[in-house]
Amino acid sequence: MTHRGALLFWAGMLAALGAGWAGFPRLIYRRQPQPVAFSHKIHAENAGMKCEDCHEVRTDGTFAGIPRLEKCASCHSAAMGTTAAEKQFIDRYVTPQREVQWAVYARQPENVYFSHAAHVKLAHLECSSCHRDHGQADTLRLYEEDRISGYSRDIWRDMKMDDCVACHRQRGIENSCLDCHK
Amino acid sequence: MKATRRDLFKFAAGGAAGLALTPMPWRLVTDTALWSENWPGIPRPARGEIRTRFTHCALCPAGCPVKARCVGDQPVSLRGLAGRPLCAFGLTGHHLPYHANRVSRGDPEGAAQAVRAALSRRGANESVAVLDLRPGRTASWTYRRAMGALPGGLYLAAQSGLPAIDLRAAKTILSFGVPVLDGWGTPANVLAARAQFRLIEAEAVESHTAMLADEWLPLREGSQDALASGIRHILTAGAAGIPSGEAAERSGLPEATIVAVAQELARGDAVVLAREETDAVTELNRMLGGRAIVRRREAPAPFHWTRTAAPVTRFDAVPDQSIRALLIDESVSDGYFPWDAVERKLAPEATVVVFASSRAGYGAHAGFVLPAAVYPEIADDIPAAIDSTAATFRLAVPLVEAPATVVNPTRFVAELAGVDAGDALRERANAIEQSGRGTVLSYTDSRSTPLRDIKADAFWKILHEGGCWEDEARDQSPGEPRASAPAVVAMTWEMRMARGPLSPLVTKLYQESNLRVRT
Repeated sequence: MTHRGALLFWAGMLAALGAGWAGFPRLIYRRQPQPVAFSHKIHAENAGMKCEDCHEVRTDGTFAGIPRLEKCASCHSAAMGTTAAEKQFIDRYVTPQREVQWAVYARQPENVYFSHAAHVKLAHLECSSCHRDHGQADTLRLYEEDRISGYSRDIWRDMKMDDCVACHRQRGIENSCLDCHK
Repeated sequence: MKATRRDLFKFAAGGAAGLALTPMPWRLVTDTALWSENWPGIPRPARGEIRTRFTHCALCPAGCPVKARCVGDQPVSLRGLAGRPLCAFGLTGHHLPYHANRVSRGDPEGAAQAVRAALSRRGANESVAVLDLRPGRTASWTYRRAMGALPGGLYLAAQSGLPAIDLRAAKTILSFGVPVLDGWGTPANVLAARAQFRLIEAEAVESHTAMLADEWLPLREGSQDALASGIRHILTAGAAGIPSGEAAERSGLPEATIVAVAQELARGDAVVLAREETDAVTELNRMLGGRAIVRRREAPAPFHWTRTAAPVTRFDAVPDQSIRALLIDESVSDGYFPWDAVERKLAPEATVVVFASSRAGYGAHAGFVLPAAVYPEIADDIPAAIDSTAATFRLAVPLVEAPATVVNPTRFVAELAGVDAGDALRERANAIEQSGRGTVLSYTDSRSTPLRDIKADAFWKILHEGGCWEDEARDQSPGEPRASAPAVVAMTWEMRMARGPLSPLVTKLYQESNLRVRT
């Protein structure tokens, strides 16, 4: 009986481990593709663009974030190339002047403010310090949204508060609550 | 093989142990907490393009300049300018419109009828009064004009005509319970001058200021005058005041301490600040004659206002049981009177109307509480701070729209009295512009321009963009008597925390800022 009991215990444990490590992440995140097949790689390599050409810090210190259609349309007023993605972009967004509803991987919770100007302009941090190699990717991966909290999965990777605090400690920079929290 | 209930439990136990080794339970705890932060009904900062707007903080008379980050019409964070930081209250001011205890509804028609009825049954020696808890504003002029137009109208102020204190000219400050380091003056001015003056705090309890002062004199409650008289006795070599021995006995301080304080004050550039104006303190200040007490001109006001305005009446000069109708503007408050002191002045069955954003103050005792706009909805000017040596004119420009249910206190009072309130702020700005005095500081481009070089419309535009007018320094001839008796009825930050409404974040920030100051 003892042997049978141990077997059942371990079976239960294995089932839970499988569910927790393999099943749960699939269940908790809602996956959705981006509305436009955008390639950072093509823009960076073929067009020779830099991050700040589209994701600019304005003169008043505010960060433009994800560029608005107006910015895209300044180059893509007509199709640039013959790909299906380009045609779709022009037809669906540029011509009817409809804003693209990008899903923002790095969108922080409502109570957080992050100053790109302070980090990029003053501290001279590279974009890749937080966004990894996102700027070199040829395709946009699926956006994963936590079904319960509604937050992007990406902010749990390199953009947690612990990561901010660790980086500030490493550089000996003092921080208080309201530096980041609204 | 038959599965028993025991088998089921063993399997479940294994499952529970296994789950504890996966991210699932921990993640669910975190997610549930995050989900609870985003429940419907919880105000959220708007998303979108961030723009910067400038205004002035209206939470206290320091009126610190504020740089607001706004998304659309909603401020999402407030901060001060370089070298002019905001306090914990100022940093969280944009939370106030959403405070849970905010007064949202009132009965303005009912209140107006009640006041009119009170006026009609007013006795010969009875009055109708406005109690202004932040005198010196343009709104205060409207109240004075309204009370001047009403028979038996009185304009009561918590504090009025106070001289300014030039902290840069003070080497020694003897403070009788004034919260010099805790919400009394402009934070930036106090911080800038702190290293240059020695602060002796005399009060019965070890307040925040007492803790941070250079010396704390734990005198007995109510013995302020005895200590002031004892010091005066030493300074006049026995010609006035009470002997230091008697002062020591009454105040509970060692006689040697009183002598040492007197000697320190005698070295020059000393000023005595007191929470309550008394003859002993006034005399002591007159004797010290320090340069730090400055008589400040008021910002110009239209002539027809000054002609028709009721005089400022001291609250304690009002006879008991003589106020038939009392209107209290608590929408902004820098001082207050205990309710029992107010109640003593009221006639039996008097009508009390309070304009407030919260019921935490006088609203608990009033017949009518009318909802008032709260900073940063409020459109008001902020009088010069106690530590500002020149008159100023700066606006708290609304950053968000006030709810439709709020009542404008000045319009309410003006309509009752049949006075045209008009666009009082603009009229005041025009009067200042016509004086041609002083300079205008624009925060948007950090430029300071003489007022005489600016046209009226441009001046108004700068004020609306968060600019500040500052009067030119007034030369005081050697023969001109300096102001005396700086009676201060200031609200400390601790008192503000007790009276609310405040952002829930304030407590943490306030404690954190204190820890920083102490370490």
